[in-house]
Amino acid sequence: MSEIQGSLKMITNGSVLLYLIKGLGFTVVIAVFAVLLGLVIGTILALARNYCTSKKTVIFKWLSTAYIEIFRNTPLMLWIFIGLVYFPSVNVSAGFSKALGLSRTEIALLIKGIIALVLFTSSVIAEIVRGGLNSIPKGQFEAAYSQGFGIVRTLTLIVLPQTFRNIIPTLLSQVITTVKDTSYIANIAVAELLGRTFQVIQISPRYTGFTSQNVSDVFVLCGLACVMYFAINFTLSCIVRRLQKPKVRKPVSV
Amino acid sequence: MIRLENVHKSFGDLEVLKGINLHVKEGEKVVIIGPSGSGKSTLIRCMNYLEEPTSGKVYIHNHLMSRSRRAFINKIHSSMVFQQFNLYPHMTVLDNLTLAPVKLKKIPRKEAEQTAMGYLKRVGLEEKAHVYPTTLSGGQQQRIAIARALTMQNRIIFFDEPTSALDPEMVQEVLDVMIELSHEKNFTMVVVTHEMGFAREVADRIVFVDGGVILEEGTPEHFFTNPQNERTKAFLSKIIR
Repeated sequence: MSEIQGSLKMITNGSVLLYLIKGLGFTVVIAVFAVLLGLVIGTILALARNYCTSKKTVIFKWLSTAYIEIFRNTPLMLWIFIGLVYFPSVNVSAGFSKALGLSRTEIALLIKGIIALVLFTSSVIAEIVRGGLNSIPKGQFEAAYSQGFGIVRTLTLIVLPQTFRNIIPTLLSQVITTVKDTSYIANIAVAELLGRTFQVIQISPRYTGFTSQNVSDVFVLCGLACVMYFAINFTLSCIVRRLQKPKVRKPVSV
Repeated sequence: MIRLENVHKSFGDLEVLKGINLHVKEGEKVVIIGPSGSGKSTLIRCMNYLEEPTSGKVYIHNHLMSRSRRAFINKIHSSMVFQQFNLYPHMTVLDNLTLAPVKLKKIPRKEAEQTAMGYLKRVGLEEKAHVYPTTLSGGQQQRIAIARALTMQNRIIFFDEPTSALDPEMVQEVLDVMIELSHEKNFTMVVVTHEMGFAREVADRIVFVDGGVILEEGTPEHFFTNPQNERTKAFLSKIIR
């Protein structure tokens, strides 16, 4: 029992708690960033895969198809390790490093992890966007063409706005998945929640007053991480569920 | 105004149009009729290049149609009303009407909205300007679609089975709008329809299409009272009871 109390001391310790909450902050920021950037890249990929069908542009269709299929069908972990070795090391300014509270080496590693996450997430989002594009009736294109819109403005003014509106719930679901996917970055960098949790577990005796690690340390810290992930994702799920509820249509007035 | 020269269209192995020659004069109201699967919808869709003919030429106002010139030619010459209305569901009715004039013809928004309100009034739906199309009935949506086609102020309007997707009680309100339009001398209308009463009342010329060719054409009087072709006779006997 005293072991548990010792472990609990860690989360009542303000600095440990703050350290972990900052980790949660990184987790959320990384996930949102990955999804937003993934949305931009994914949209371009989806458009290329769907509409670059003429002889001149078909190469883009094949390139984007290859990209999407490669990253969607291989594990994220793999790309994080490949990135660790092959992605460029970004040197950030000392001020930026201080503002984030991370060392410059840590940031360089973190960026490699984020690049891998973006590559992976963009391929998944590309398919979400493509699903949305394919659900737009052909008549919408035809109406636009008949009015004299070319393909670019048909897409930007008429098709994409409807697509994005339709895929909002699926995109939010992808944020949930990506929040969880950020934990893979714990394997190479200590910034987001799970990485920091591991970090604290490793040095737990410093806070518990015991001379060695205890099983209860793992229980308490991983439990706390669980609660934090759950709080974020469950909130998102509730939003998704609300958005997916069929809207009550106004009765048709004649 | 509209000239089709030996237009062929195939979908894979299926040849839908087998050499269509048709000349629609300025201000003429042409109604295309024919059994389902005859190619009449494909024919009208070739006119604004929603379908690209496999071979043959389409001229609009002496402009030779092509894939790359489709947007330009449609912008300045023609509009289309579809069977499924195809209003833009993410925009209000007014935005549906002003999108193309504002974006394509660079008409100031205020002015475009005034014009649009005028056309909405004409189809009797000005009070629906700020609602979304999906809240409207089929008949109302189709009238809005007609107003949208008018806002570009093009002289040619294509109607591709405009009443076929409507509940029976809503057909007349749409036909009334079309009949009213047909009184305008300078509108060229090409209409694919199954509404024989409408065809008889409005058409300057009726074109009967079957099996991908034009079998017979002529004035409504000729067409309904004295058809020459056997298949025309058979078709008419089935639909006019």
